Amino acid sequence: MDVVTQMQRQLLQYTSSLFKEGFLDDQFNQLQQLQDESNPEFVVEVVTLFFEDAERLLNELSKSLEQESIHFRRVDAHVHQLKGSSSSIGAQRVQRVCIAFRNFCEQQNVEGCLKSLQEIKQEYSLVKTKLETLFKMEKQLFAAGGSSVSR
Amino acid sequence: MAEDRYDETCSEASSACSQIGANNCNHFFHRLCCSAPSWNWNTTTTTTVTPPPPPGRRIFHRDVEKEAFQYASSSHCLSSYYSVFVVRLAIMVMLAILIGLLTILTWHFTKIYTTKSLQTLAYDLRYELLQRPILRMWNILNSTAEITTAQVKLSQYVIRRYSNPANQAEQVELYEAMRAITWALFSSKKALNSITINYKNGFVQAFHRDLKDNNTSYIYSDLVNYSMVASNSNEMNFISAHQSWDDKAIHGNKSAIWYREPLDPVTGDKIGKAMQIAPEDLINIAGLSQVPDGVASWHVAVSKFTDSPLLSAALPVWDSSNKSIMAVVGVTTALYSVGQLMKELVEMHSGHMYLTSQEGYLLATSTNAPLLTNSTKSPRLKMAVDCENEVIKLGAEWLQRAYGNHSPPSHEVHVENAKLGHQQYYIDSFFLNLKRLPLVGVIIIPRNHELRTPMAAVIGLLDILISDDCLTNEQYSTVTQIRKCSTALLRLLNNILDLSKVESGKLVLEEAEFDLGRELEGLVDMFSVQCINHNVETVLDLSDEMPKVVRGDSARVVQIFANLINNSIKFTPSGHIILRGWCEYPNSCNSSPIFPLEQKKSRCIQKSREKQNANNVKRTTKRDNKVILWFEVDDTGCGIDPSKWDSVFESFEQADPSTTRLHGGTGLGLCIVRNLVNKMGGEIKVVRKEGQGTLMRLCLTLSTPIDVTEQHCALDLTDNSLVVLLALHGNMSRLITSKWLQKNGVCTIEASEWNGLTQVLRDLFHSRSPVHNNDNFDAHYPATEGLKSKLLNILDMKNPVFIIVVDIGLLDLSTDIWKEQLNFLHRYFGRARFVWMLNHDTSNNIKMEIRRKGNVLMVNKPLYKAKMVHILEAVMKERNLELQKRNNMIGSRAAAKEGELYEFLEIDSTHFDVGSSDDSDTSETVGSNPVSVNGDKQLELVTRSPPSSTYKINNSLVGLTNEHLEDNNNARKEESCQSSPSSSNHAIEEIEPKSLSTKESSQGEDSERGETHRAAGPNNNAVNGKNSLEGLRILLAEDTPVLQRVATIMLEKMGASVVAVGDGQQAVDALHCMLGVEDCRRDSLQKDRNTRSQTEILTSPYDLILMDCQMPKMDGYEATKAIRKSEVGTGLHIPIVALTAHAMSCDEAKCLEVGMDAYLTKPIDFKQMVSTILSLTKRTTS
Repeated sequence: MDVVTQMQRQLLQYTSSLFKEGFLDDQFNQLQQLQDESNPEFVVEVVTLFFEDAERLLNELSKSLEQESIHFRRVDAHVHQLKGSSSSIGAQRVQRVCIAFRNFCEQQNVEGCLKSLQEIKQEYSLVKTKLETLFKMEKQLFAAGGSSVSR
Repeated sequence: MAEDRYDETCSEASSACSQIGANNCNHFFHRLCCSAPSWNWNTTTTTTVTPPPPPGRRIFHRDVEKEAFQYASSSHCLSSYYSVFVVRLAIMVMLAILIGLLTILTWHFTKIYTTKSLQTLAYDLRYELLQRPILRMWNILNSTAEITTAQVKLSQYVIRRYSNPANQAEQVELYEAMRAITWALFSSKKALNSITINYKNGFVQAFHRDLKDNNTSYIYSDLVNYSMVASNSNEMNFISAHQSWDDKAIHGNKSAIWYREPLDPVTGDKIGKAMQIAPEDLINIAGLSQVPDGVASWHVAVSKFTDSPLLSAALPVWDSSNKSIMAVVGVTTALYSVGQLMKELVEMHSGHMYLTSQEGYLLATSTNAPLLTNSTKSPRLKMAVDCENEVIKLGAEWLQRAYGNHSPPSHEVHVENAKLGHQQYYIDSFFLNLKRLPLVGVIIIPRNHELRTPMAAVIGLLDILISDDCLTNEQYSTVTQIRKCSTALLRLLNNILDLSKVESGKLVLEEAEFDLGRELEGLVDMFSVQCINHNVETVLDLSDEMPKVVRGDSARVVQIFANLINNSIKFTPSGHIILRGWCEYPNSCNSSPIFPLEQKKSRCIQKSREKQNANNVKRTTKRDNKVILWFEVDDTGCGIDPSKWDSVFESFEQADPSTTRLHGGTGLGLCIVRNLVNKMGGEIKVVRKEGQGTLMRLCLTLSTPIDVTEQHCALDLTDNSLVVLLALHGNMSRLITSKWLQKNGVCTIEASEWNGLTQVLRDLFHSRSPVHNNDNFDAHYPATEGLKSKLLNILDMKNPVFIIVVDIGLLDLSTDIWKEQLNFLHRYFGRARFVWMLNHDTSNNIKMEIRRKGNVLMVNKPLYKAKMVHILEAVMKERNLELQKRNNMIGSRAAAKEGELYEFLEIDSTHFDVGSSDDSDTSETVGSNPVSVNGDKQLELVTRSPPSSTYKINNSLVGLTNEHLEDNNNARKEESCQSSPSSSNHAIEEIEPKSLSTKESSQGEDSERGETHRAAGPNNNAVNGKNSLEGLRILLAEDTPVLQRVATIMLEKMGASVVAVGDGQQAVDALHCMLGVEDCRRDSLQKDRNTRSQTEILTSPYDLILMDCQMPKMDGYEATKAIRKSEVGTGLHIPIVALTAHAMSCDEAKCLEVGMDAYLTKPIDFKQMVSTILSLTKRTTS
């Protein structure tokens, strides 16, 4: 079988598995649709932005939750931001944990917050590796001569 | 319960029935069988064996037939045939009865079983809850006992070693040794309150821990006074020993002096001087009296050093011969840890718990109420009935009332609905039968929470599970399913609890002003979404006399109608559901209520009857401005059998039990409705209606605010010569709207489908006198005569304004025909105003196309009064504006131009030429021919009502421009088409600051686009979806970088140019900076008297702002407020669209409150964003 088609199929399978397992939702599709000749690297760019933003927010969150008197409003604002950015790239599992996190924030439940933070970190690293793999596969495909966006 | 009883009687009846049936059967058989004795056996089996029928019977039938055949010629023939028939009939009847019985029994048992298992579950929970503190108590007892025994053993060992202390030195040595071992034990158990050793000679050693301030001290009595005496009387016999040290010897002995020595709590070292202590400050010292028979004893003691009761144990120390008691060891432990545990438990599960001794003294409670009475002398234990906590007190009283002092033999009580105060509680008590210290534990749990809480917990746990990533797909779907079921169950529970709340009279209705009409409109809007799939139209028909604002509990009123409509929807597969409302002012009895539409006669009769009922209410409530509101919910569903008209309002009742499976529901909805209606001083019942379906009628007594009197819609429609063509699919809404419009003096024509619409259009616009070509009328137009006369009337009208309300459902959307249909309608565009009724699921594609045709009045179905009023207002406002503009342009070439644009048919153009809505045209005219227009406008300004802007007075030129802008804004508000951005591009680019680089880069493009725009004229709307935002300049305020980037790309992809900022402050600054520049510009222009560009400058630098609501520094709400504030007086209104993460309606309200024009929820939906922006900027002119 042609290497390119095989790679293409692999990429397709991998992408659909990401959707099936709930890592990504339709928003990610929208992102891909926005990518065109004028913005060939759009998805990667936005996702990288998301990584930066998320890491910054996670750091902030860990810091504020370590403090003795927790400033719940600030924590909530951070989680809100993270929710916003995760939802706009379609990382729905991160988004879901964010929702739970905000509930704990509202209840001022420190344990719940810490647990949620742990969960978010886990979800985030998961989705990060998944997306990085995805991009790597796309890159390889591109290098092999296939079209990068497989739809 | 009623059903249970019914079941029983039913089952009895049916079993009796089957008995009779069996007897009959036997009887028949006996009569029948003359030749075959074995049949008899067969019959007995059939009476006992349930289906399927045993094979024997078939044989039996065949036998009968055979035999019948054999005897066919005989005279018995006929009668035997008859008998066989009867037997078969009997068997069938029996079978039917058996099956029926089985069904009823199954249903009965399922119900009973469910109730039972729920109860068992609840009971288990309560039992578990109470077991834990009791276990804790048990542990405390055990450890106290262990310590006591250990202390006794050690003491025995030490005392025996020094059994005969020869001198004081040895005695002292003994005591020193005892002190050492006692300390060792005492310090190892932090929970201990004290350990005391009371020697035979009266000497006392004790360690005491004050739990309040954690002070530890050593207490001892003065040794000198009686130590030697004691050693001398060593030979005393047992009895004298008893006499010599009873309790009085300790407490009452004046000669005894007590000392307290503070100790280090950890090491036991002395840290202070020994102080003498007063006898009343002494702790409990266990004496001989507590071990009267020489065995261990338990009792509950109190001390003034702690708030908690103390558990104290006492054990004697025997001498080596086991004959005489050498000392008594006492150990006391505080019980507060039991209370602590109880508190923790009820925190999770709500309710109350307490533990008492058998006599009823409180030992521990789950509350903070004090357990001891603080009398002046010494603290004492409290009875449970004296507890300061209301619930515990009531519970204890209740138990005492129910059982007195004779607790039931098993000492366990389980009551499921004890009424304490206003609330129902579960009360359970458990008995812990300790030999010396029997304990009673009681748990009181409010009935409501106990079911809801675990359900909420279940759902919460499921949520956690769902968000877990270790689930496989199947597990995920299963858990999701469970979650759905749990929510359904919780809803059922809530319904039940709601009901019990109303029934028990606990529900308190709120009293607040609310807009009844708007609430009901919202409800109908909501339900119409559900109805779309059902092919059912939901119609709201409220009479004009209804008060706008009433006082009452809006949530409950809405709940009433939500339940009723929900119910109707469930049972109505097709047709309509109408919610009618009218009112009756008690103080104007003879004003007959306006009946909406049909059934007037029947209702009138009933009405007068009901009025008599209401009369009582009227007299009493006259002063309070009460109003009786009547409502009807009318559906075309399957209807309810008249015999069930009352019982449908009972709980767990559906008219036909078999519908439950089909339609779902709990059977509680209507019951809640009736309870709520009654609570609001009204009644509800099912009323007979003509035709299919159910008609529920209810009245509510609500008060109206006194200051707000008549505030009905003041829209005067009569002298506007409006003609409304209602081309609506739904019969009822069309009929009702039409009636209402006619009542208000608006001429209406109706059409129910496409052909009818085209016919009417042709008749209206193509022929001067439709009367002559009446053969054109379609056969299915019943009201031909009426229509004809109507058309004649309309033709007689002077300058009629046509409004055509078109249901999107009239178009053929399944194929591409709808585009043709749109084009057809577009031919009438200039002569009539189109209003589109959309479905909720109308695709954006179609909406876009319609909008491109220049139709901007779009309303979602269903159509009701308020929406119609809005439409009419919008149209009329626009017409006034257009008339004005037309006046301005008399003599200009505009009229001629319009003639080119639209192919006017044979109709006199002056009648229908209402300036159309081609604003791009007019604005261009303004631009190219400024002097003349301005002159006209100036005149206009003087004649118009005093404007708010101060510029107008100071400087006519500035006032002029403001006026123009105001016009622009008006036009915008009325959703007319406006292409201001393109016409003002040049000017803005001239003054654009260089910092906004995006703008700069698109400069060339912009000007170019401006050109093309003008050149293309109205046909420019043929742009495809890809660049539908072309030329728009959008300011994006969003702090999240990801979202910022995504939104920017989305917008740029659609052709818009975007400037992104990170917070609200920057957004305001970006805008202000521009406005500031404009101000300067304006000043300089005033000096220059440069009229050319003046009109063009004073538009906003951006066409629209997308504003995130939550941002650092300044959030979206604040920023919007600031922008709106700065706009005051300038006549500008930049559209602001909120970006919010929440889809809650309260956020929407907040957004609109601060002056935003629309909102989008995150994550941004591409299509929705584009359509929102388009609808706000109105660039798609035609």
